[in-house]
Amino acid sequence: MRDRTSAAAAIALLIVVVASLAGGPIASSALGHNGTDLFPYAVNANLKPVGPWAHIPDLNVARSLPDNTIAPPSKGTKRTLFILGADSNVGRDEFIILLDSGKASLEVGLGGVLVAILVGVPLGLLAGYFGRWIDAIVSRLTELVMAFPLILLLVLVSVRLRPTLEPISIRHVLPPGVFLVALTIGLFTAFYPLRLVRAQIKLLRNAEFVEAERMIGASDWRIIFRHLLPHLLPTLLVWGAVAVGTNILLEVGLSFIGAGVPLTTPTWGSMLVTTWGSIYAPRQYNASAFTPWLTIFPTLAIMISVVSLNQVAEGARRALAPRET
Amino acid sequence: MNRVAAFIVRRLVASVITLLLMITLTFVIFWAIPTTPAQFIYPLGQHLSNYQISHANHLLGLDRPKYVQWWNFVSHIARGDFGKQWSGAQVVGNTSIKQFPVGPQLFTATRITGSIVLGGAVLVLLLALPLGAVGARFRNSIGDRMLSLLTLLAICTHPMVLGLILRTVFGDQLKWLPDGGYCTFVSHPVSTAGIGFNGTVPCGGGPWPWAQHLILPWVSFALLFLALYTRMSRASVLEVMHEDFVRTARAKGATEKRVIGIHVLPNAGLRLLTMIGMEIGTAIGVAVYIEAAFGMFGLGRLAVNTFAGSSALDLPLVLAVVTMITLVVIVGNLVVDLVYVLLDPRVGGSTMRARRAERAEPVVVG
Repeated sequence: MRDRTSAAAAIALLIVVVASLAGGPIASSALGHNGTDLFPYAVNANLKPVGPWAHIPDLNVARSLPDNTIAPPSKGTKRTLFILGADSNVGRDEFIILLDSGKASLEVGLGGVLVAILVGVPLGLLAGYFGRWIDAIVSRLTELVMAFPLILLLVLVSVRLRPTLEPISIRHVLPPGVFLVALTIGLFTAFYPLRLVRAQIKLLRNAEFVEAERMIGASDWRIIFRHLLPHLLPTLLVWGAVAVGTNILLEVGLSFIGAGVPLTTPTWGSMLVTTWGSIYAPRQYNASAFTPWLTIFPTLAIMISVVSLNQVAEGARRALAPRET
Repeated sequence: MNRVAAFIVRRLVASVITLLLMITLTFVIFWAIPTTPAQFIYPLGQHLSNYQISHANHLLGLDRPKYVQWWNFVSHIARGDFGKQWSGAQVVGNTSIKQFPVGPQLFTATRITGSIVLGGAVLVLLLALPLGAVGARFRNSIGDRMLSLLTLLAICTHPMVLGLILRTVFGDQLKWLPDGGYCTFVSHPVSTAGIGFNGTVPCGGGPWPWAQHLILPWVSFALLFLALYTRMSRASVLEVMHEDFVRTARAKGATEKRVIGIHVLPNAGLRLLTMIGMEIGTAIGVAVYIEAAFGMFGLGRLAVNTFAGSSALDLPLVLAVVTMITLVVIVGNLVVDLVYVLLDPRVGGSTMRARRAERAEPVVVG
C-alpha cells in the first residue's frame, strides 16, 4: 500500500476500536479491579488523586482516625496498579474508565452517522431526483436549520426527548442514553448527507446511462436504487468517516452542557466534565489538586480517534477518486 | 453603485422573510407540543385546577386566537423590545400581571457574544491567512505537515477546556490578564455584569478594560477556528496560485513576495471571508463554552438556559433568543457578502448563490 499515512491511521483506528470494546474487561481482570471500584487510598489528604503508574493499597474501605484522616493500611496489604492514576476525589482507576468510555463515545459517533444517513439519504434522493417543489421545500428548510447553532438545537431536542428515550438500551451493548444522543445528533446532522446526495443526484439525473435506462422503460425507483445509489457510496463513506469524529466531539460538548449520555455511563466527554466541571459550574483551579493527566489522556483518546478517522477518510477519498491528486 | 443597491434590497427582503419563517416555525412547533404555561403563574408545583389554568392563560393573553398572539410577538420584535417573558411573572391583585421584559438581558448577552465572536473572527483572519500561505508556499514540507497536524490537534481540545486552561494560567496564576468576567465597552459608574465563578471585581467599563477582559476569550476562540481556517486558507491559496493572473504576474517577472502579497493573498482572503460568514451559527455555539469558561453571560448561555430547562419552555424568551441568533447570523452574512460584492466586481446575486451552494463539508466543532 502506497498511502502509508492512511494505513497507519487505519491501524490506529483499529486499536482504538478494539481497546474500547474489549480493553475494559481485559484490563479489569488483569489488574484485579473495575472502573467503578472506589479506592480511598488512591486519594491523598488534599483529595488529590494519585498520578499515573501508582501502586495503591488494594482496599475499598478505609478506617478514619479521630482527626478526620484515614488510618494507614495494615502491613502486608496487597497493592494494585493504577496505570493512568486515579480519576477524581473518589479514587477510581482512570485507565479502565478511559477504556470503558470509548465504547459509548464510539457508539454515539457511529450511531449518529447511521441515523443521519438513514434520514438524509432518502430525503436527498427525493429532492435531487424529483426536484421542483420537494427540492424547494427541503432546501429552504435545510438552509434555515443549518444557519442555527447545531449545539443549541441538540440541547433543545435532547432535553425534551430525554424522559421517553433515555431508558432505551440493550444490556452490555448499548448503555442507556446512547440511543437518545445518537438519534438527536443524527437527526440534526442529516442535512450534510442530504445535501451531498442531492447535489450528486442532480448531476447524475440527466447522465447518459440514466437516459438509457429510462429509454428501456425502467421505473424511477429502479433507476434510483439500482443505478444511482451505488454512485453515492464513496461520497457517503468519506463523509461518514469524518462525521464519526465530529460526533465524538459533539458528544463532548453535550456532556459539558449536561445534555449528553448520563453520568452512570462514562464517555470521553464525561471524563473531561469530571475534571473541569459543566458549563453551569466550571471548576476553579486548585493548586493542591493539579491533575494534568486527567485532561491529557481523554483528550489524547479523542485526538487519536478524530485524527485517524480524518486521515482514513482522506485516504479513502484519494483511493476512490484516482483522477484527483 | 446600482449593482450594490439592488443586491442590498434583494437580500434585505430575503432576510425579513427568513426571520418571519423562523419565528413562525418556532411558534408552530411550540404549540404543537403539549404545554401548560400556567405553571409560570403558579410555579409552586401543586396540581393546577381548570380555573387556575384558564385564569393564567387569560392573564398571559393566551386565550386570544393564535394569529393574534403571533402578531403580538412579531410586532414586539419589530419594535425592538422583544416583549415580556413568562418566567418570574407575578399576579398583582388577581386581575393584572407583572412580567419582566426580555430586552435588557437579551441585548447585554448579544453585546457580550458579539464582542467575543467579532474579535475572535478578526484574530482568525489575521492569523489563518499568513499561516495558510506559508503552508501552501512550502507545500508538503516538514513545516507544512506539522502545521496541519497541530491544527487538527487544536480542534480536538474542547474550547471549554482550552478556555479554562488559558484562564488558569494567565488570569489566575500569572495574573497578566483579568480572571474572567465581562467589562462593558462604554464606561459607566460600576458594572456587576458577568461576575465570574470566583467573583470578578466589578469594573467601570471602557475600551481598554473591555479588550483586556476579552483577550483570553478571543485567543481561545481563535485557536479553535484557526485549525479549520488555516487548512481552508491553505487550500484557497493553492487554488489561487494556479489561476491565470498569477501566471501572468510571474511571467512579467514579479518577485515571489509580490506575487504572493499583491496577487494571491487578497484573492485567497476573499474566499476565506465567505467561509467565515457561513460559520456564524457555529461560532455562537462555540461561544457557549467560552462564555462559561470565562464567567460571562452571553447569548450562547442565555440560549442554553432557555432551551435546556427540563420544565416548560418560556415561549417569549425562546422566540426572542431564536430571533436574535437568526438576526445575528443574517446580519453577519449580509455584511460578509457586502464586503465581497464591494471588493469583487464580478460577483452578482447568482454567483453568490452558487458559492453558497458549494458548502457541504461538515464542520468539526462541538
